[in-house]
Amino acid sequence: MNRRPGTAKFIGAVFSLALALSASAAYAETPANALIVAQSIDDAVSFDPAEGFELTTVQSFNNLYQRLIESNRDDGTKIQPALAASWEAGADGKSLTFALTSGAKFSSGNPVRPEDVIFSLTRAVKLNKSPAFILNELGWTAENVDKAIEKIDDTHVKLTWSADVGPAFALSLLTAPIASVVDEQTVSAEAKDNDFGNGWLKTNSAGSGAFKIASYTPHEALVLEANAESSDKPKLETVILRNVPDVAARRLLVEQGDADIARGLGADQINALKDKAGINVLSVPSARSDYILINSKANETLGNPAFWEAARYLVDYNGIAKDLLRGQSQVHQAFLPVGFPGALTDTPFSLDVEKAKKVLADAGIKTPVKVEFIVFNDQPFLSIAQSLQASFAKAGIELDIQPGVASDIYAKGRSGQYQMTLRYWIPDYFDPHSNASAFAINRDNSTNTAAKYAGWVIPEITDETLAAVKEQDAAKRVALYEDLQKKVQKSSPFVFMLQGNDQVVISDKVKNYVQGLNADQVYYDHVEK
Amino acid sequence: MQHAVSRSLPDPDNSRQRPRWRELSLLGSFLKWLSSFAVTLLGLALVTFAMTRLSPIDPALQMVGDHASQSTYQAARLELGLDQPLPVQFLRYLQQAASGNFGQSISTGQPVASDIARTFPATIELATAAIIIGSLIGLSLGIAAAMRQGGLIDAIARFISLFGYSVPIFWLGLLMLLLFYARLHWAPGPGRLDVMFQYTVKPITGFALVDTWMSGKAGAFRDALAHLALPAILLAFHALAGISRLTRASILSELGQEYVLTARAKGAGMKTVVFIHILPNIAGTLLTVIALAYASLLEGAVLTETVFAWPGIGRYLTTAMFSGDMPAILGATLVVGSCFVLLNALTDLAADRIHRGQIR
Repeated sequence: MNRRPGTAKFIGAVFSLALALSASAAYAETPANALIVAQSIDDAVSFDPAEGFELTTVQSFNNLYQRLIESNRDDGTKIQPALAASWEAGADGKSLTFALTSGAKFSSGNPVRPEDVIFSLTRAVKLNKSPAFILNELGWTAENVDKAIEKIDDTHVKLTWSADVGPAFALSLLTAPIASVVDEQTVSAEAKDNDFGNGWLKTNSAGSGAFKIASYTPHEALVLEANAESSDKPKLETVILRNVPDVAARRLLVEQGDADIARGLGADQINALKDKAGINVLSVPSARSDYILINSKANETLGNPAFWEAARYLVDYNGIAKDLLRGQSQVHQAFLPVGFPGALTDTPFSLDVEKAKKVLADAGIKTPVKVEFIVFNDQPFLSIAQSLQASFAKAGIELDIQPGVASDIYAKGRSGQYQMTLRYWIPDYFDPHSNASAFAINRDNSTNTAAKYAGWVIPEITDETLAAVKEQDAAKRVALYEDLQKKVQKSSPFVFMLQGNDQVVISDKVKNYVQGLNADQVYYDHVEK
Repeated sequence: MQHAVSRSLPDPDNSRQRPRWRELSLLGSFLKWLSSFAVTLLGLALVTFAMTRLSPIDPALQMVGDHASQSTYQAARLELGLDQPLPVQFLRYLQQAASGNFGQSISTGQPVASDIARTFPATIELATAAIIIGSLIGLSLGIAAAMRQGGLIDAIARFISLFGYSVPIFWLGLLMLLLFYARLHWAPGPGRLDVMFQYTVKPITGFALVDTWMSGKAGAFRDALAHLALPAILLAFHALAGISRLTRASILSELGQEYVLTARAKGAGMKTVVFIHILPNIAGTLLTVIALAYASLLEGAVLTETVFAWPGIGRYLTTAMFSGDMPAILGATLVVGSCFVLLNALTDLAADRIHRGQIR
C-alpha cells in the first residue's frame, strides 16, 4: 500500500519536470525588427525566378528581385518603372528599348547593367523550366533568344520578338516573376554543369529587391534579410516565413502573438478570429477562378452543349460563396477575374433546377445520368463538390465524386481521361491573354490549353483570341475580351463559378502590409511594426 | 516455463565449448544477418519502387505543374529518367543508392540524402525523448498495476492504456497546445526553437539539444528542451500505453509460474518476486516491445510532427508522397527501413544476450 502514492508521485514528478522545463522558456512576442509569417511553405521547390512557380516562391520574388517594369501594387493593370526608368516601343511594333535606372545595385553590391538583363531573360528561356512558356509567348526560343535581346549602350537594352503581339502585351509579360533580373556575375560564379546557376539559385538569391535570402531550410523556414544595397530600403530587418503545416497551429501562433501574419486559414478559423482583439482579417481579392471542366469527348451526353448549359443552372453559386466559403470567394461567372481589363462582372446564371431539367429534356438527354467527377483531395474543393453533387442530383445528374491528388487530376485532364472535374486557374501574368489563352484557344488540339482538355475545338474563337492579343487600341482590346468572355460563358464546357478572396490574418501591430490581386503580388518592404 | 527450466538445468559443458562455438556462431550470425539485411532492403526498394510506379501520380507533371509547356514537361521526364524502361530505372536507382546518392527531391529541389540528413535527426531526437519518457512511465505503471491487480493504480493504468490507444493523437496534440501553450502559457508553440534562437544557433549535428548545448547558449538549450517537451510527452503517452499494458500482462502471466510460486513459498515478498525474479525473466520481451515502439516512432510520427511543425522524416515522407516525389519516397523509405531492420537485429542480439546471461 505504501508504494501507491510513491508511483503516483513519480509519474507526477516526470510530468511536472517536463512542464516546468517548458515553463522556464516563457514565450515571447515576435522581435520588433522581424516579421514572422506562419504559413505552409511545403510547396516551395525553387527560389530561382526562372523556375519557381509555386505560391510560396512567387510570393517571395517581388521582395527579392526587381524587373525592368512592374505592375502597380494597387492597380495591377498599370505598369510602372522599376529597373527601367523609361521605355520606348519600336516603330515596327515588335521591339522595346529600355533605359535603365541609374544607381540600382544587387545585394552583392554589383551595379545593375544591361548584361544582367540579357543574362536573366536568356537564361530563363534556355533553362526552359515551368514558367518559361510566358516568355515563349514572344516567340523566344533557346535558339533565337540571344539575338532577341541586345545591349545598346551601358544604360540601354533592346528587346525584339517575332510573335504577332504588340508592345503592350510584351510589357505585361515582363511583369511576370520569370522576367526578374538576376546578378549575372554572382550567379555565373555559382554555375555548375551549364545550369546557369540554377542549382545555387534554388536556395539563394541574387537580386536587387528589398530583401535577400539569408537562409532557406526546405519544409522549415525561409528567412529574408534586408538588402543593404537596395535603393528602397525595407522598414524591417528580417522576414521569416515559418512552415506551419497545420492550420490550427497557425491560428494559435497568430492568436498568441508568436506570428504576425497567418495565411491559408479555413473559413471556420477566420470566423473565430474575426472579432478577436489585436487581430485583423485582411480580405484581398485574388485573381484565382474556380470552375467546372467538362470533358466533351468523354461520351455523347457530356459532349452535348445542352448538358453544359444545364450544368450552369445546377450550381448553387450563392450557397457555395456565402454559406460554404464564407467570404473566401465571391460569385464570378467569366474567365477574366474582376480587376483584369475587360472582366465581365454580370452573373447571368443562378441555381434553377426546373430550367436545367427543361434544357436537358429539350435536348433529349435522358436522366438519371451518372457522371464521374474527379476532385482535388483537399478543401474547399471537396465541400464545393458535395454541394454540386446535391444540386446536380435534383436534375437527375448523379455526380460520382472521386477525390485525387493534384498531379493525378492534372494528368487526367491533360490526357482527357476524365468526365468532369473541378479546377482552379490563377493568371500567370497581368494581361487578359493569360486566361484567354487557356480558355479560348484550341484550334486543333495541338496546344495544351484548358479548351483542349475539354475537347472543345474552337478555330473561330481561337482566331478572335489571337486577334485580341494583337490589338493595339486598348479600348478595342477590352471590347474583344468582353465579347470572348460572353461566348465562352454561354457556350463552353466550362462553368465558371467563383473568384477567390484571400483572407490573411494580421496582428494589429503590423502596418502597411500590401497584397495585390495576382498571386505574386505580396510585398513586405513597407511593413512596419 | 522454458526460462524456468533453463535456469534450473544449465548445460554443464556449455562453458567449456563456448569460445570456439561463439566465434563460429558470431561470424555465421553476422553473415546471415547481413544477407537478410541486404535482401530486406532490396525487397523494400522493389516494393516501394513498384508502388510509386503504380500510383496515379505523374512525377514529371508534379514537377512542372499544369501550366508548363509540353517541351518543359518532356524535359522533366527526361531529367527524371522516366523515358527509360522500368527495370533500367530501378537498376539505375539501386546503383546510385548504393553510393549514397538517392537523387534529387522533386518537392524540395535538394539532394534527397541531404534532406534526410536534415530531417532524420529531428525525428530521432523526438522519438528518443519520447521512448525514454514512455518506457520509464510505461514500465513503472505496468509494474505498479500488476502488483496491485484490481486496485486503483491498475484501473488508472488500464484507463491510460486504453486512452492512449484510442484517442486520435493529432487531436490530443492540439488539445495540449491549446492548454499548455495557448491557455496556461507553460509551453512554447510549435516548432523546434524560438525564432530568436532558430537563426542564431548554427546547426552542426542536426539535433537541436546538442547544437544548442554546443553553442553555449543556456537560453537556447532550455528553449530547445521546452519545444521538445510537449510533442515528446504526447508521443510518450502513445508509446507508454502499449508498454504498460504488456508489462502488466507479462508480469501477471509469470505470477502463476512455478519459479514464482517457489519463491513466494520461500517467503519472498511481492517486490522481491517482481524485481528479482520476474523482471529479469521478461526483460527480453519488454525490450522487444520498447524497441518496436521506438522503431515505429522513428518511422515517422507524422501527425505529431505536423501539429507541432516538427520538421522530421515522417512529415518529409508524407509530403513526398502527396507530391509524387519518387526519389524522396524511395530514399526515405530505405533509410527508415534500414533503421527498422537494424533496430530489430540489435534487439534480437540484446534479447539473446539477456537470455544467455540467464543461462549462465
